[in-house]
Amino acid sequence: MAQYPRIRVDLASGVPAVRQIVENLRVLLVEGQLFPGTALPSVRRLAVELGVHFNTVAEAYRQLAAEGWLDLKHGRGAVVVPRVVSPVRNKAWAEDFRNRLRGMVAGMRSQGISAARIATELRAMAKAVTRS
Amino acid sequence: MRLVLCAVYLFTAALVFAIPNMTRRDLLFAVPVPPDFRESRAGRHAISTFRTTIAVVMVAGVCALLLSPAKLLNATMAAVWLAVFLTGGISFYWQNRRLAPATVQFTRSREVELTATPEELPQFAWLAAGPFMILGAAAEFLYRNWSRIPGRFPMHWGAGGQPDRWAERSTKGVYGPLFFGAEVCAWLLIMALAGWFGSRRSRSRSVMLGGMIAGQYVMGLLFALIAVQPLLGIPVWVIALAPMGILIPLIILLIRKMSEAEGPIDPTPNECWKGGVFYYNPNDAALFVEKRDGWGYTFNFANRRSWALLLLLALAIASARFILP
Repeated sequence: MAQYPRIRVDLASGVPAVRQIVENLRVLLVEGQLFPGTALPSVRRLAVELGVHFNTVAEAYRQLAAEGWLDLKHGRGAVVVPRVVSPVRNKAWAEDFRNRLRGMVAGMRSQGISAARIATELRAMAKAVTRS
Repeated sequence: MRLVLCAVYLFTAALVFAIPNMTRRDLLFAVPVPPDFRESRAGRHAISTFRTTIAVVMVAGVCALLLSPAKLLNATMAAVWLAVFLTGGISFYWQNRRLAPATVQFTRSREVELTATPEELPQFAWLAAGPFMILGAAAEFLYRNWSRIPGRFPMHWGAGGQPDRWAERSTKGVYGPLFFGAEVCAWLLIMALAGWFGSRRSRSRSVMLGGMIAGQYVMGLLFALIAVQPLLGIPVWVIALAPMGILIPLIILLIRKMSEAEGPIDPTPNECWKGGVFYYNPNDAALFVEKRDGWGYTFNFANRRSWALLLLLALAIASARFILP
């Protein structure tokens, strides 16, 4: 049986469901698990399976379409499309990226996760990013 | 006939009595609890209180059915059935409220496979055509033997087995029960399809679909037997018990399948369950969700389509006045 990529949404977490769906899908898109031509489940089906409102999934698809990942055709659902990105020339992105990472690390540490463990995870992530 | 009534009543009441056994072990009176909670003092007390209440009503109901004067048998039958369901409902709700503090906070996360493969019905879904074929065959049989149908014949029987409504040999009188049966079967089919496409993927979904199709057979058979009764002279107790031959094994099978715990509980929010029985969640796109009392699926009453389906049922019942003789 074919193995399909999966996404996970935690409705009890403080993070809005739409953001969780967008981030989950974006990870799969960036990692290439969802490649151009892949059809995503219909808004209705994904909403039923995740236990969220139709609008939540529709909004997530719209955000990803606006980023250039998806093509939303009425009646055809969402399809992954090739995406051309020109490199960011603005130097502020690095500062913004570091700030976001710092915020995430602080969040993890406030939940009691050790600095060593976070560093290990970051190293593993860095390796994966380098490979891709 | 009284004994048949008592047997059917006892079976129904026994089902209500057995409600605590019909759920997976991590649910008790629709409250998510630890699997060993039933063996705890609070768990045992909740179950025994519920059972004692139902047992008292059950025994009182049997006595009432056996001792009621023949004239009052119809009313008594309605009253004892109502009593057992009402007591069961109230007692269930009461235990649900009492156990609420024991609720386990389980994870609310869901993992979903990203497949766009269209949803396909299982192959056995074609069996849903069967009840319509039974009703059609009955109509054909009546058409071919039209001249043999008596000018006036019984159409409805009271609790004592005596006819209390008659019909005449006319299109409405002869085919009315078949039209009504087809209407009920169509509603059940719509429910089955809505349940399949409007609920989350799970093993229980096939069980629900199978249960609805079997329900169609019960209704199709019942109305076909009523329609051909004037020609074949089928005893009324056969008409009453024949659908039971499907219904009883079906209920037992469904209960066994549904109570087999597989995977985690569908993580519907606790606060969206009203009395543990009614689900109302405007943020959930599902039309049907797995129930927490072990009896299959229920509507998400926040979904407008659930009200449309109930309206269809109400219309089907109301149409009996115009369709049935």
